[in-house]
Amino acid sequence: MFIDFYWRLPTHGCHNSLQTSGYERGDWSPLAPGNVAPGLDRDGEADGFAYIDHLSAIARAAESVGFQGGLIPSFPNTDDPWVISPLLARETKSFRFMIAFQPGFGNPVHSARAAASLQRATGGRLLFNIITGGGGPAQLWWGDSFAHDDRYGRTSEWLDVFRGVWSSSDFSYDGRFYQLNHGGRPSVFQGEEFPEIWFSGSSDAALQTAARHADYYLSWLEPFDQLGAKFASVKERTAALGGEQKCAVRVDLVARATEEEAWADIRKGFENVSEETRQRWRGQATDSVGAARQAALRPTDAQRYDELIVAPNLWGGFNLLRGGPALGIVGSYEQCAARLDDLIARGADAFILAGTPHLEEAYRVGEEVLPLLGRQAPALLAAAE
Amino acid sequence: MTLTIHWRLDPAAEPPRSERALQPQLPDRVRDRRVPTQNRFDYYLQVADAAAQTAFDGLFIRHRLESDESRIIAAIVARAVRGIKVVPEFPASVGSAVYAAKQATTFQRSTGGRLGWAITPDADARSRAREADMVGPEDLARRLDEFLTVARGVHEQRPFTFKGEHFEVLNGGFDAPLNRVSFPQVFLQGEDDAALRLSARHADVHFFAPATVEQLAERIARLDALAAAEGRKVAVGLIQPLLVRDDGEDAQRDAVGLPDITLVASYDEAATALAERHAIGVSHLLLEATPMLEEAYRVGQHLLPRLRALTGAARRAA
Repeated sequence: MFIDFYWRLPTHGCHNSLQTSGYERGDWSPLAPGNVAPGLDRDGEADGFAYIDHLSAIARAAESVGFQGGLIPSFPNTDDPWVISPLLARETKSFRFMIAFQPGFGNPVHSARAAASLQRATGGRLLFNIITGGGGPAQLWWGDSFAHDDRYGRTSEWLDVFRGVWSSSDFSYDGRFYQLNHGGRPSVFQGEEFPEIWFSGSSDAALQTAARHADYYLSWLEPFDQLGAKFASVKERTAALGGEQKCAVRVDLVARATEEEAWADIRKGFENVSEETRQRWRGQATDSVGAARQAALRPTDAQRYDELIVAPNLWGGFNLLRGGPALGIVGSYEQCAARLDDLIARGADAFILAGTPHLEEAYRVGEEVLPLLGRQAPALLAAAE
Repeated sequence: MTLTIHWRLDPAAEPPRSERALQPQLPDRVRDRRVPTQNRFDYYLQVADAAAQTAFDGLFIRHRLESDESRIIAAIVARAVRGIKVVPEFPASVGSAVYAAKQATTFQRSTGGRLGWAITPDADARSRAREADMVGPEDLARRLDEFLTVARGVHEQRPFTFKGEHFEVLNGGFDAPLNRVSFPQVFLQGEDDAALRLSARHADVHFFAPATVEQLAERIARLDALAAAEGRKVAVGLIQPLLVRDDGEDAQRDAVGLPDITLVASYDEAATALAERHAIGVSHLLLEATPMLEEAYRVGQHLLPRLRALTGAARRAA
């Protein structure tokens, strides 16, 4: 059985390390000497590089060490994955672009044409992380006023139409949210591979939609027993609904030559977290079930970094150091590989890994951790059975 | 008034170019070492390079249901070809106005601000139904008006709140660094009053179809009046298919079967005709001809220098 490994493109700038709160790569913080993409030239002027040039470097690093591609997240203040992907299409060779996308934001027929064009441009390197959750005021920021369960209904219909016009040259549809008459695939797109669909969302509405449309069910990292149970439940429930799900984990790593070095980096990062950052994370409002599960960890109240060690090599304070989920893996290269093997034994079929800074860590994780995978999986699998 | 001159890429034109599935098999004696990574986009880039190297100011990319999507092509072209402005054409039915505006910020940030938006007129009801666009004909102008209001609103204001019939935003608007780039230059088109009213409110440039100098002057006056009523000025453009040759008779001979709006002329005649339109207020030309690569070279090397010489002289005299 093959396991698929992806990296992440940080679409909101990147830090030099987990110990800095400013963004020294990209223009999300005020430009200072030493900043990259854009940087400052000798006269103190922007040097003409753009953040896309740094994203290009990360994508090329990731593909060179064996990552299949990368997740390209989308949030209100990030760059956009539908634009990043074609910008980088011709300067990457095997990198697969995983576009994070809320289907309600694009007409499904137009989106299918854009997706098929990207397949043609890249030789079939496009896939989707379909996002439906989130909501409340954040969703209205995007101009989307649908209620939570309505949004899953719309996602499901959107995917029906997207798939319909992809696969058939004469397709009609009469749904609650979308209708079309005699649409379909133009001949020039015939034979293009349908993009893999990665799905997120922990609610019942999400799982029903996943069973119908998704290839991979993507979760943030949770405590291992809990995540293993969730994967088993997803596979069971989607099977009962007539679908087949592979499961994937999105997780940040701090992998170092020794465990001590890894925890020392975490400790320094934790001690640099400002009270302002803690306050900001306390105030997050969302109707997403996944986000609520993570918020229950309460890392904003911790006084010492080691209060947040929830299991061996598992640390629950990553969201204090950078945007995203709280839990991540910390340890030596061997320990990180063993934890990933452990997750494989618990039903993970694929991973989206990340580390900060994303460029150098793509090389480190690719060169030091990926080669160690599989050594412990057979024993763990045997133990699980 | 500077004359800005754009070339137009039609993704559906010349289908066999760089499209392996549509090309005849080479004879067995010809060793063929082409690889699968060569594809149609190579031709789009050839056309874009041709336009850039022959000193066009911009490249428009047509919206074609049967071919590659214009904004995907635009991003690929803009990354590979420096200096030239890139303007995808697309209808207001593409989806969320907020999302379209957000995508534009990444494009601008990544290309040094070289994006324009050309919003295409809505298709007929049957075509729209094929595209899952169920907005009724009476609502189309309103949707476009709201689309551009919201897109510019979230780009330029924070917080931005709007509640229309087609789009709704609550406390929207982009933060730094996304809002540091400029909103794409907006190009609209059409001859009737409804189109002119929309342009008066939203367009940076309004394109007209080919017409006589007198007809154009009338339409420009109407556009100016409507724009003035909105407290705005809108630049005037002309979409001009053409077939030009060194010799006017050669042009006539090659023009068999072209629509009669095509400007068929010698280089000198064409330069004169276009300069006349510049003199009455046309500041943007969108030129098109096929084959797109060869004609970009012909127009760029022969017509543009003549036209720029004439209009540059006019500017100095004014």
